[in-house]
Amino acid sequence: MKSLALALLPLFALILVVPLAVADSAPVALHGMAPLPDDRKVPRAMLPPGTFDPDPGPSGVVFPAQRITVRFNHARHMTKEVGATCKTCHSSALRSKSATDSLIPTGEACDACHSTDHSDAAHVKAGDDASGQCGYCHVGYKASDGNVVPALELPRANLLFDHKAHVDRNIGCPQCHGAVDQLELATRDQLPRMRGCFNCHQASDAASRGDAKSACDTCHVRADAAGGATRIKTMFASGTLLPPRWLHNAEHGPDFIERHKTVAADDSQFCANCHKEDFCTDCHDGRVRPRSVHPNDYLNMHAIEARMSTERCTSCHQQQSFCLDCHMRVGVAESSPPNAKESARFHPPKSIWSDPPRKPGHHAFEAERNLNQCVSCHTERDCVACHGALGVGAGFDPHRTGFLGGCATQLRRNPRPCFACHEPSDGVLAQCR
Amino acid sequence: MTAVATRRVASLALLAVTLVAPPVRALDAEVTSDTAAQFYDVRSPTGETVLTRRRLVTTLGVGAYGLVEAPPGDVKAPELSFRARLRYDADYGASAAEGAPTVSQGLGLVPGFSRGPVDLMYGYLEGRRLLGGWLGFKLGRQYVTDVLGWWSFDGGEASLTLPFYFKAEAYGGLEERGGMPLSTPRFERDGIWRGSRAGYDGLLYPAFQPATIAPAFGVALESAGVTWIHGRLTYRRVYNTGASNVSEYASGLYTPAVYDGSRISSERLGYAVDATWGGVGGARAGVVYDLYQAEVSSVYANLDAYLGQKTTLSADYDYYVPTFDADSIWSVFAAEPTNDVGLRANVNLTDELSIAGGGSVRVYGVQTGPFDPGVGARYAPSPNYSAASSYFPTNGHPFDEGANVSARWRTGETLLTVRGAGNFGDEGDRVGGDAAAERVFETRYVVHGRAGVWEWQDKLRPDRDATSFGYVAGVGYRFAPRSQGSVEWEHNMNGLVGQRFRLMFLLSMAVSK
Repeated sequence: MKSLALALLPLFALILVVPLAVADSAPVALHGMAPLPDDRKVPRAMLPPGTFDPDPGPSGVVFPAQRITVRFNHARHMTKEVGATCKTCHSSALRSKSATDSLIPTGEACDACHSTDHSDAAHVKAGDDASGQCGYCHVGYKASDGNVVPALELPRANLLFDHKAHVDRNIGCPQCHGAVDQLELATRDQLPRMRGCFNCHQASDAASRGDAKSACDTCHVRADAAGGATRIKTMFASGTLLPPRWLHNAEHGPDFIERHKTVAADDSQFCANCHKEDFCTDCHDGRVRPRSVHPNDYLNMHAIEARMSTERCTSCHQQQSFCLDCHMRVGVAESSPPNAKESARFHPPKSIWSDPPRKPGHHAFEAERNLNQCVSCHTERDCVACHGALGVGAGFDPHRTGFLGGCATQLRRNPRPCFACHEPSDGVLAQCR
Repeated sequence: MTAVATRRVASLALLAVTLVAPPVRALDAEVTSDTAAQFYDVRSPTGETVLTRRRLVTTLGVGAYGLVEAPPGDVKAPELSFRARLRYDADYGASAAEGAPTVSQGLGLVPGFSRGPVDLMYGYLEGRRLLGGWLGFKLGRQYVTDVLGWWSFDGGEASLTLPFYFKAEAYGGLEERGGMPLSTPRFERDGIWRGSRAGYDGLLYPAFQPATIAPAFGVALESAGVTWIHGRLTYRRVYNTGASNVSEYASGLYTPAVYDGSRISSERLGYAVDATWGGVGGARAGVVYDLYQAEVSSVYANLDAYLGQKTTLSADYDYYVPTFDADSIWSVFAAEPTNDVGLRANVNLTDELSIAGGGSVRVYGVQTGPFDPGVGARYAPSPNYSAASSYFPTNGHPFDEGANVSARWRTGETLLTVRGAGNFGDEGDRVGGDAAAERVFETRYVVHGRAGVWEWQDKLRPDRDATSFGYVAGVGYRFAPRSQGSVEWEHNMNGLVGQRFRLMFLLSMAVSK
């Protein structure tokens, strides 16, 4: 008897251990609550192509925040044992032509294996075993909730996307969504990254490159007439769509206003994907001072700013009209009407500013350093008066060093500025002929 | 171009569009208007009011989209649209005498000044993705923006998207010039005081040059389709036509003389490129060569390094020499280049909060010795050629320094910005900062304000140093999407001119179908 008991001991142990093991494995039933067990970080290799490391996730504007109230273990379902594939549950993706289509399976997709019955959403019937109970999949469900389960919130993507077109081109799910088959819960992190789209979408608008175009409106939603129609929509409930820094180096940071010129200079059409001309002209041809550029009291401050050329006035202002008009009216310009003229108040004393011999503070140094500031007040006549070959200051040569090296071309293509100072018969011009 | 020729060109263009365009469908349309009324005074450094500004700027824009049939959502379908915007920019504070060309000089005439000019900012018909995606065009008054600057002309532009990642573009027409109908001088090259001389006697302000048509054309070749690198090679030539007063004195030294004939206004070649490398960084560069002045007029280069997901560190270089219309004598004046070298960083602390800042050094050239006009020059003796009779600095490369920092905190309904800047050089210093806030309540009530303190020192005129404090307070109401009315009060004070006030009324409206 004793020996029998000893012989059966392993069996007893097995009987004892198995339930314990099952009990210990109870947390296994909680799989599917996160992409990986213990909420481990998903390796970059499993994330969609184009993911950075560290990964900030997909655009929160394009893919608004989700609330996932269903636990689901993709990896478990896609084992050979279960045998599911992507299209087992997401077959609608094969036919979908719009990002507004719902590609999430209904509960009926679960019924066959879990012995549940979701055919009538108002009266869902639980299955026989644990895996068929509502709380098995619906996170937060309590028996007292009856037929009501916590809502799943998966906002539509603010995007144009034709799944069918991609499927038809033999583009597999992992090429955009990463290794979902190796993950438990699929979250927003498995939604595509724009940088990954560019793995294929690197073609121009022309028909010659097929459909994988990189034009913004290939994927981004176009604005309606109110938003400019030919532009893409940038304002969403989920936020404002802005370019990532790795796209044309166009991150719209706090100082972008000071460096946007290099983006626009290279590819203004890139800017025009989101901005209408009006956005640019408000500053670049503006008649109302933009305070984000020119701070308070700029009317008093602008002279020192122009002198220092901390901002390039000519980016937005034509000096011989915008600046000169006003300077004439207020009397600081040499050409101001006699009844308004009070220009002597602007420059240093004449003895320093213009009298020979040249000394520190002389206008020649200021002109060489920042000729634009002179042009904002003076017409060329003011300079010709002294610098003209026959003017009152004849002989004060304003040309740059080495001027003779290129003056022949200038004289040939437009002699007008030469004749403003030199008579056409002036022998000096012979050096440029 | 004669009126008959203009009509012929217009007819041909219309015919071409009609032939290319498929049947018209129900169009999307919008009408927009922005109005700003400003009331303020301009005061002299001694405090007197020298201008009473009563300004009204209002624009009227129209847009019509979807002028050709296209299946909904078909991003490959051809598109035809029309957009235009008119502007009225008046100063009712100006006297009638300021803009009247028949008034004698003694009564305050300001040549080129108009109390209420109207201009067409843009107005063009645009076709995109025609001929299977190969062809695009624009017809009418339009902008061109590239490394050569911000420019406007009346004419046509066609772009051909080629295989193998290139797009070719050609355009031609007339440069938009002040003094011409519905035009402003904003986009012509600087250096020539020019406008309509209609009604001017020949001896009245001869230095004020007559505006005439300026034929222009340009071509560009740029990359297309590739997202990680983009480059644009661009060339533009503009001609001056008609008479120009060469001698600009009504009396005294010379009799007005005129130079007539077609000639170059500007001719420039530019190239810009940018490239990014995933999570590593990016680079941008550009160069402009002025073919009339035969010199590089502008160069810039930026290098960005992405340090993690939140920080970008950049190095910037900028080279600039002012250039002008070839009619201008300043085209042949000595002008030293400025070279700016800077370092900058941008940190996105959170999704809402970003901080950026940087510092830069400007190096500019100064003539340190007598002019050297070159071998064989035959100029008359001048103090410019004599070290003995003129002072020349010993340091040919003085430095200016500058730094700025800015921060932005932005949520859906609130925007807070703070910025500070300091610039220091031989000609002056400026340092200060301001803070601004805007908050939208219940999606329609807007409240905003700004306050700033700035101090500047004018080293050429030390008596112009000042510290300024100013603030702005405003409220607005959004009565419809993209439609808002608001009122602003601005108050500035500094030791030079005392108190200054500005009252502004702003109204933006948009109606679309």
